[in-house]
Amino acid sequence: MNKDKFDYDVVVIGSGPAGQKSAIQAAKAGERVAIIELDSLFGGACVHRGTIPSKTLRENALRVKNMRQNVALIDFELGEDTEMATLVDRLDDVLKAHDVFMRQQVDRNQIERIHGRASFVNSHTLHINHPSGESNTIKVNKVIIATGSYPRHPDNIPIDHEHILDSDSILSMLYLPSSLTVLGGGVIASEYASIFQALGVKVTMIDRYPTPLGFLDHDMTDIFIAEFEAMGGTWLGNQQVKKVYWDDISEVVTECADGTIIRSQKLLSAAGRLANVDDLQLNNAGLMLNDRGLITVDDKLCTVVSNIYAAGDVIGPPSLASASMEQGRRAACNALGIPIGDSSQLIPAGIYAIPELSSVGLTEKQAREQFGEVIVGKANYSEVARGQISGNTGGMLKIVSDAKGEAILGVMLVGESSTEVVHVGHMAMLCNAKVDIFIESTFNFPTLAEAYRIAAIDIISQRPK
Amino acid sequence: MLAPLIDSKLIDVPMLPEVANKALILSQDAESDASAMAKLVQSDQSLAGHVMRIANSVAYTPLTNLVSLQQAVSRLGMGIISEIALSASIGAKLFKTPGYEQHIAAQWQHALAAGLWAKEVARQSRSNVEVAFLAGLLHSIGRPASLQTILNLAKQQGVSLSHDDIVQLEDRYQHQTSCMVANSWEMPELVIAAIEHYPRYADAPTAATQAAQVSVAIQYATHMLNPDQLDRETLLALPVLAALNIYKDEAEKLLDKSESVAEKLKELAS
Repeated sequence: MNKDKFDYDVVVIGSGPAGQKSAIQAAKAGERVAIIELDSLFGGACVHRGTIPSKTLRENALRVKNMRQNVALIDFELGEDTEMATLVDRLDDVLKAHDVFMRQQVDRNQIERIHGRASFVNSHTLHINHPSGESNTIKVNKVIIATGSYPRHPDNIPIDHEHILDSDSILSMLYLPSSLTVLGGGVIASEYASIFQALGVKVTMIDRYPTPLGFLDHDMTDIFIAEFEAMGGTWLGNQQVKKVYWDDISEVVTECADGTIIRSQKLLSAAGRLANVDDLQLNNAGLMLNDRGLITVDDKLCTVVSNIYAAGDVIGPPSLASASMEQGRRAACNALGIPIGDSSQLIPAGIYAIPELSSVGLTEKQAREQFGEVIVGKANYSEVARGQISGNTGGMLKIVSDAKGEAILGVMLVGESSTEVVHVGHMAMLCNAKVDIFIESTFNFPTLAEAYRIAAIDIISQRPK
Repeated sequence: MLAPLIDSKLIDVPMLPEVANKALILSQDAESDASAMAKLVQSDQSLAGHVMRIANSVAYTPLTNLVSLQQAVSRLGMGIISEIALSASIGAKLFKTPGYEQHIAAQWQHALAAGLWAKEVARQSRSNVEVAFLAGLLHSIGRPASLQTILNLAKQQGVSLSHDDIVQLEDRYQHQTSCMVANSWEMPELVIAAIEHYPRYADAPTAATQAAQVSVAIQYATHMLNPDQLDRETLLALPVLAALNIYKDEAEKLLDKSESVAEKLKELAS
């Protein structure tokens, strides 16, 4: 194809984790690349409304929780009306540093940044509306859609971003509320519910399913619920929310189908996310959304239109920043015919709740469905010196192996530092190591990683004779 | 004449007589509805400021810093809010601006509309709605205070000022006075910064988003109340919209809320 007929070889729509990595990959291949961002801020929802802000709040929540756990050392009480700005005090610095890093990376790779809203005229032509009211059209060879997602607003939840909030507006609260109802049981709901509870807010978490984080094994989520309730939170599972309203004075009222009524100062609706494609005019490019409202891609992340690829939240789960980055890189490689290398499909999942949860590979349930017989080895953090020392004895590590007790099929953790410790198991799986590696290796003492040895011993003791 | 008074913070900040009167009636009525008081507090810049200032005093909330109206209403309860409104309405010097009642009413109407539009703009930007409301509502609180002081001074000095002169003086000092009032009422920092910086939002060292929101809200309020003064096309082409990353179609969608904003305005101002 004659490259001169195009303004750009590759245009990426969206500057979140998937968009950035795909643009950088394409630029490193020597292509003329532009990245179009709707927002004035670079980095997408992950940076400005999701991952980074919530994790910054979480760090302070953990500090508060730790200080409360150590009353003998620090007599600490968080002010009843602590301003949110105080709790995300480092957010501006974190975001500025991240923004500088991202912009430098994009500029260094000579990627053109375009501030505007893109829509397809056809599969090779994009129309861009700029906030100033001006617009232009560009011709592109390859397009990578990485526009992310936005919070779903159920019909019966009148989100006003004042009293009834979604995950985009929850951190706009001016002060820490005295009580918060969280609707949902997914990752975002679990993270915010536990973070605010750790900060001393009276949190009630309501969902239609019996347990939160239903994609994890029940023994893991049982620990999460126990820890959440130990902090003072309330989990209400198997509940259908009938109606939510602001009482016009001081409380949000949540009415459940069984007659339960919950009153709180604020409410967070975390009812999933939708692909952010409303402005794209996908039909002009010959694209359609699937029945889940997502863009369908093949194993090369290519859509039904051969020059258009998609990555990140717009193609659906796992909707993790880490997965999106890798998808973005692969989409660019595939679009340009660059071998993607031996990179593994094994992507860990991290849930930054309090306590943290993390997994890689198959859950016990998935492994049993896939292989029938499996062996499960467990280690409670109470058995590990580091768990005792830090006072985090409620955690657990679980290894799922094949029926012989050799191949590692999955690793799951709940408790302090799970999102870091999971990578020990992750690396072992990437190397196709046997369970024995955790017994044959020496771990620092005392560390939470020692739990791998205990869980491995548990598996080996169950090996068929 | 006015400048030294502003500098020495001698400008009195009165309450609007009508609202003060309503607060008095509500607080004395044992059967009054709590929601009516909440609505009243939220509807008026002067009363809202007094409630916040007094609610934050040590006598009412020791060791606590209340930063929003909702919080004040929620934490203090309607009884105390009534008390605050009552004491504020008795203690504050009422407006005495003979001949300018309509002028003040129109400005108050505009300030309230700006507060309501600021809420809508904040919702659009997913930023704090209450900060936007307070900043929009109080952005011109210095106008009645300046006007009253100008009239008092003119009377004291035996100077005869024309209507145009007085309005010109009010225009000249109102922003400075608004900042002074917001500060003296100990509004949340974001509110004070937004009021201070909205005329030059692009250069705001802090609260740039909130300042731009106030600027947009003022223009939407002007368009809604006086479309001849600011027509639709001029409104939609304002650079401050781009500064807030509000695209033209989104700015048009915001205008779709005119009816509901007008209804709320009517309800609150009645």
